[in-house]
Amino acid sequence: MISKTLALTVVNEALATGADYSEIFFEDSHSQTVQIENGKVEVSSSSSRSGVGLRILKGNRCVYGYTNDLSKKGLLDLVCSLRASFDGERAVRVSGFEMIRCRNRNPIRRSYDEVGLEERIALVKEGIDEIRSMNESSIVRTVGAFQSDCRYVELFNSKGKRFRRRTEFGRLFYTVVCADEKGFETSFSGPGCQDDMTYFYTKVNARETARKTAKTGLKMLHAAECPSGKMPVVIGNGWGGVLFHEACGHALEATSVAKNLSCFSGKIGEKIASEIVTAYDDSTIPNAWGSIDIDDEGNPGEKRCLIKNGVLTDYMVDDFNGRRMGRGGNGSCRRQNYRYCPTSRMSNTYIANGKNTPEDIIAATKLGLYAVGFKGGSVDPATGEFNFGCSEAYIIRDGKICEPVKGAMLIGHGDEILKNIDMVGNDLDLGQGMCGSISGSIRTNVGQPTLRVRELTVGGRGGELK
Amino acid sequence: MRFDYFFRRAKECGIEDAELYVTSTTSLSMSLFHGEIDQLSQNTSLSVIARGMVGGKCGSASCDVWDRSKADYLIREILANAAVIENDDPQFLFEGSPRYRRVNTFNAQLSSVSLDEKKNVLLSLEDKIRHYDERITEVEGVSYSERTYSTVIRNSKGLKLSQKGNYFYFYGGAVAKSGEQVKTGGELFLDNDFSKFDLDAFAKVVAENAIAQLGGEACESSTYPAVLSQEVVSSLLSSYIHSADAEEVQKRSSLFINRLNKAVASSKVTVEDRPLDKTVFARAFDDEGVATYNKPIIRNGRLKTYLYNLTTAAKSGTKSTGNASRRGGKIGVAPAFLSMKPGTMTQEDLFRLMGNGVFITEIHGMHAGLNPQSGNFSLQSTGFLVKDGRRDRPLDIITVSGNLMELFKDVTEVGSDLRTFPSSVSCPSVLVRKLKVAGK
Repeated sequence: MISKTLALTVVNEALATGADYSEIFFEDSHSQTVQIENGKVEVSSSSSRSGVGLRILKGNRCVYGYTNDLSKKGLLDLVCSLRASFDGERAVRVSGFEMIRCRNRNPIRRSYDEVGLEERIALVKEGIDEIRSMNESSIVRTVGAFQSDCRYVELFNSKGKRFRRRTEFGRLFYTVVCADEKGFETSFSGPGCQDDMTYFYTKVNARETARKTAKTGLKMLHAAECPSGKMPVVIGNGWGGVLFHEACGHALEATSVAKNLSCFSGKIGEKIASEIVTAYDDSTIPNAWGSIDIDDEGNPGEKRCLIKNGVLTDYMVDDFNGRRMGRGGNGSCRRQNYRYCPTSRMSNTYIANGKNTPEDIIAATKLGLYAVGFKGGSVDPATGEFNFGCSEAYIIRDGKICEPVKGAMLIGHGDEILKNIDMVGNDLDLGQGMCGSISGSIRTNVGQPTLRVRELTVGGRGGELK
Repeated sequence: MRFDYFFRRAKECGIEDAELYVTSTTSLSMSLFHGEIDQLSQNTSLSVIARGMVGGKCGSASCDVWDRSKADYLIREILANAAVIENDDPQFLFEGSPRYRRVNTFNAQLSSVSLDEKKNVLLSLEDKIRHYDERITEVEGVSYSERTYSTVIRNSKGLKLSQKGNYFYFYGGAVAKSGEQVKTGGELFLDNDFSKFDLDAFAKVVAENAIAQLGGEACESSTYPAVLSQEVVSSLLSSYIHSADAEEVQKRSSLFINRLNKAVASSKVTVEDRPLDKTVFARAFDDEGVATYNKPIIRNGRLKTYLYNLTTAAKSGTKSTGNASRRGGKIGVAPAFLSMKPGTMTQEDLFRLMGNGVFITEIHGMHAGLNPQSGNFSLQSTGFLVKDGRRDRPLDIITVSGNLMELFKDVTEVGSDLRTFPSSVSCPSVLVRKLKVAGK
């Protein structure tokens, strides 16, 4: 913990050489992971992180430093080292801090600190036992894990604001490796929440999750290789939202937009997607994996409409990058932990429901790919080129879902793909993942309803689609 | 730092043997945008990873602050974690190897380069990239990062090891535009000898990497012979050698099961783990404190060894190869420095030999498009057509697909153009017989 008095000293010392903003971000977090392989607990480990990040801004310049030395000397040494980057006169002095009060949208009833290792192990083993009960000789390896994360942060800044918050996360993982004489297939599931164990007893069923993971692996083991080329692609709901995350999401972060390094820079008010596309980045969904009630610089989390009926309406913006854009942050400032300088990032990003049903969309597709499971992807925000890999897919013929195929990689340009969405379903769902960028790895939800892209380039080892 | 309280309390609390793996780091990073340093970061940090043996089971915990309360936290968590371990694999805290080779990964000269000098290099770099060609519309960013670290392993069996090192890297990224088409290109230089950085050559590579891709379009979807750049080979090789991880073999999820002394690549391919070479990646001991040594993994296409830590070695009745690698709360396996033996042909020679095909310069989406167990991959790629033995037009929005074992068995020639990458891989370009490309 940092005392108010020490924080005031540090924040003011940081402003001594002419900076216009300073903040001190204290974090004290801990996590725990148990991992079970082939029925036995193989790993149980705990981790504690405690430190301070100090950020000083002047105009469009930012200096950042972190330390684990939380003594007055340690912090003042850091301040002196960082403020030496500026050589002006003091322009701001802070006299005190006002606590930012914000309704906790992500309440936890029972802290993970009260959940013993035995309870976590029992939960994971429910799924492991379910996979074992399938008696499938092709399943050669089963890994289950449970990870919890408890994060306490406190921020003091030169706007005279202070906040503190505690957030807790839990995530259940299953990885199944299937093998036959021809090779291997791996399948994975990782439902998570910003909620307590109730989530895993009521909203997620460990047995069903594990069984579904195993069945996907077995199906893909025997699946043909995905054909390659340009084709219509129906992208399933939930984790299919990695499409929007990679194709569009990163390029709408002020991190690249502010410097005109995004393909969507300067395009507010322009049509960048099909008119049936409306998309949000919503930090306010209660207890959702990516939700934040206050962001890492003290701005309240918001529901941001990024695209409305195909027209670009907003970006994800933090205060610092907002300076280049002539606007303030909109609650999008995030960082992995105190070791990272924060910047604008996504939270829960999704395409909103449309008018079609998933069945309509499949029935309307004569020949194409139906991608249901995904592994993640990457993007170059400047060019808009993106990719994402499929873990489960099927060929559609004459409006019917046919044979499973594996190894599909979908690529394209973000701006083109958004314009080529020609059907949007009504079965919105969200999927949990970790997103990596310059402020580290953070929790985000991706999401969408089932939708169809008129044409996408599909990479695969299976030759031409016939 | 003093550790005696931790070891004394651990013993008092019933931990039979205990170990601390401590890394202290100072780092600096700065980036320049439009002539101004817009981001500067200076940091000190600590990482303490503790393990303890209780009744033959190993519990672990970590923290990043060192004081008595954290030592107590580590001990408490080790006891709780060890109590739930059910796996019967033998666990070890190592007493030490008879001999360690000396490695030098610390260059004291680096600290004599002033901050201003580093800033001036960034200023010049941005200027040179921006003015290299009229098609360069923006410098995405130029940055400098530097890290100095000190690693210490101590345990109650008498192990006392330490290693100190430093390195820096420059990164440059450029945006090129022609008509409506926008392309980016980047380059990274890593070393710990500042005098080796050639600013002009680096700026040229950054700019050329962006410009060269302009005018690209997809090729016809087909199977082509292909030259793979060093960067592409380094990424694929890192994934392929994952199959040599003895844990993957023992858990029956490796391509290399039952393949010792059998062909896993063409006879042109020799890959070694060389932790004692004079590079910034050199290390005298692995993450368990076992002395490292240079070893062939693949020689003339044949698999010569799996890579072991102490646990996997004991399970196989052999010795550790000095490849223990910490991953979270677990000791896994990883090579220290992968080195593919070069051939005698330049990259242009490879193009001439190939005649007509593709030259793949970059691959993206490795975490999503490559399955390390099966070796199957489908990856977004960048590259060029090769016509009549010469590099031709750029390729845009293509994927390459295949299987790692088939690919490395299809290597027909290995280039002489070695490059070393921050992923601790050194390799040349290679020519492969065939590669599936999806485009039009």
